Amino acid sequence: MFDLILRNITQRKLRTGLSIFGIALGIFAVIVMGGMSEHFNMTFERSISLTADKIRVLPEVGLFGASLNESKASEVKRIPGVSDAYGMLQSPLDPESLGFGGDMVIGVPPEKMVSVLKDTKLTEGRSLVAGDNYRAVIGSSVAREFNLRAGDEMEIKSKKLERARSITNIRNFTVVGVMEYTGSFFDGGIIIPLDTAQKFYNRGNTVSFILAVPDPETDPEELARRIELNVEKVKTFSPAELKTQIEQSLIIFTLITLSAAVLAAIIGGLSVMNTMLMSVSERTKEFGLLKALGADTRDILFMTMGEAALMGLLGGILGIIGGGAVVYLLNDYLAARGTVLFTITPRLIVISMVFSMGLGIISGTYPAYRAAKMSPMEALRYE
Amino acid sequence: MDEPVLRVRNLTKTYMQGKIPVHALNDVSFDVEKGEFMSIVGPSGSGKSTLLSMIGLLDKPTSGSVFIDDKEITKAKESEVPKLRREKIGFVFQHFNLIPTLTAFENVDVAMRFARVPKNERKQRAVELLTQMGLADRMKHKPSELSGGEQQRTAIARALSNHPAIILADEPTGEVDTKTRDMIVNLLRKLSEEGHTILVVTHDTAVAQQTGRIITMRDGMIESDKT
Repeated sequence: MFDLILRNITQRKLRTGLSIFGIALGIFAVIVMGGMSEHFNMTFERSISLTADKIRVLPEVGLFGASLNESKASEVKRIPGVSDAYGMLQSPLDPESLGFGGDMVIGVPPEKMVSVLKDTKLTEGRSLVAGDNYRAVIGSSVAREFNLRAGDEMEIKSKKLERARSITNIRNFTVVGVMEYTGSFFDGGIIIPLDTAQKFYNRGNTVSFILAVPDPETDPEELARRIELNVEKVKTFSPAELKTQIEQSLIIFTLITLSAAVLAAIIGGLSVMNTMLMSVSERTKEFGLLKALGADTRDILFMTMGEAALMGLLGGILGIIGGGAVVYLLNDYLAARGTVLFTITPRLIVISMVFSMGLGIISGTYPAYRAAKMSPMEALRYE
Repeated sequence: MDEPVLRVRNLTKTYMQGKIPVHALNDVSFDVEKGEFMSIVGPSGSGKSTLLSMIGLLDKPTSGSVFIDDKEITKAKESEVPKLRREKIGFVFQHFNLIPTLTAFENVDVAMRFARVPKNERKQRAVELLTQMGLADRMKHKPSELSGGEQQRTAIARALSNHPAIILADEPTGEVDTKTRDMIVNLLRKLSEEGHTILVVTHDTAVAQQTGRIITMRDGMIESDKT
């Protein structure tokens, strides 16, 4: 039966080609958009796993914006169940950027580097040590973007507002270490000593957030609540809370990207349906004849749905190849500029494949039904 | 005499044309023996094509029954119909009705696919039948590359492929010249001599004369039945 299906779809090459192209475009969109959302999902997942053992303590947002004094860290540390607590300062590398997805300068107390990096290894150089001033440990993307190695100098800017004027301060930092690729926000990080960061960014004694490391036998959820109750003007994010919050925003992002892609694929499916309806009505006589020759309804259904499914499958393969190629090229281009936007996972490929075939089959159902219920009498009279 | 292959009993078909009933067939009964070569003749509208559609399971009668090999096909369930068409009936049409995208060989082959005949057997049978029809060297040709006579012979090979109980030919010579017509009629007669039962619907008296039995129809009824 398969040879008949193949013969039928190659009969009208242009028309079949256009339908396949329609599906391919849709699946292309699914791959590109899906690749983007997979990438974000994976980055956040890895990032969360890197900080999964710590509680984030953030300033309670007041009227005058967020500010958290470093001294709060020792208050947090005094709470029973907290084994360690330290502040971190975070600022976008490019002062003009809004800080989403770009490289980040992170001020960390050098003696806490081990706790921060967890099991992230350095590919070059060393970690920060007490007494380092204008020294930095950089993430793998930053190293690639600026073509830096341990021992190189790196220029970092900060901005200070003074009477409606902004003063840009530029300093050279020496790269002392490069982190391995982690697939998390660490890749875009430039870690410098906290006190240097506070001075450089003119933040006094403030930090962006405090990380609290719970004792191994303490329930982090409960500890998070305890910190909130005992330390004034802070709110906490336990690992689980952080996870749900990030997941919620990721779901929305995924929904938006994927629904655009699915819409494109459905339009491709409609073009298959249109092609199949045309081809079925053109072959009215042929189907009538096949029935007169004793074809079962399922033979005819199989033939017509098979044609549609094959078109879907071919479109899917084309779309995956096309999308994969574009994503590869874009990633290559973006990597040179320090970011990677897409990740094509096996699960995405499987989903696209199943989706394209399913789309073909669904689009073929109605035309196939029309073909199968054709009365041989009517069909054979139709000259 | 043997058991008749085909028994038609009190077959009636009434169409509604608007609110006026049209009696296309009116209480038609006859028997056909195995190996008979017979024709049904009559003017247009006499009901001969309607009769053929009932026997070929292409249409359902208003009342009455058709038995093929003692099986009452007019009582068959919708799901049994394809199987009966495959096993009991071979169709030959006026317009040949070959599938234009398939070669002569594939046109014969496709009919056996629906009967789930294994590939090797299908191939053997198709080659055998087409050779028997004198088309051994035309098997790889598409219908558009075949003459009318060759197309009709391909259609006859197709009709024979599943060993049907009866071959129904609807104006098989309607589209061919007189020379080809004689060849096809001779071929059909030869097949009947080999034991195939063949029922031809025609309005060509020259064709009918060649058959062993002529049923003449008029106004949905049998006017005469001559052997």
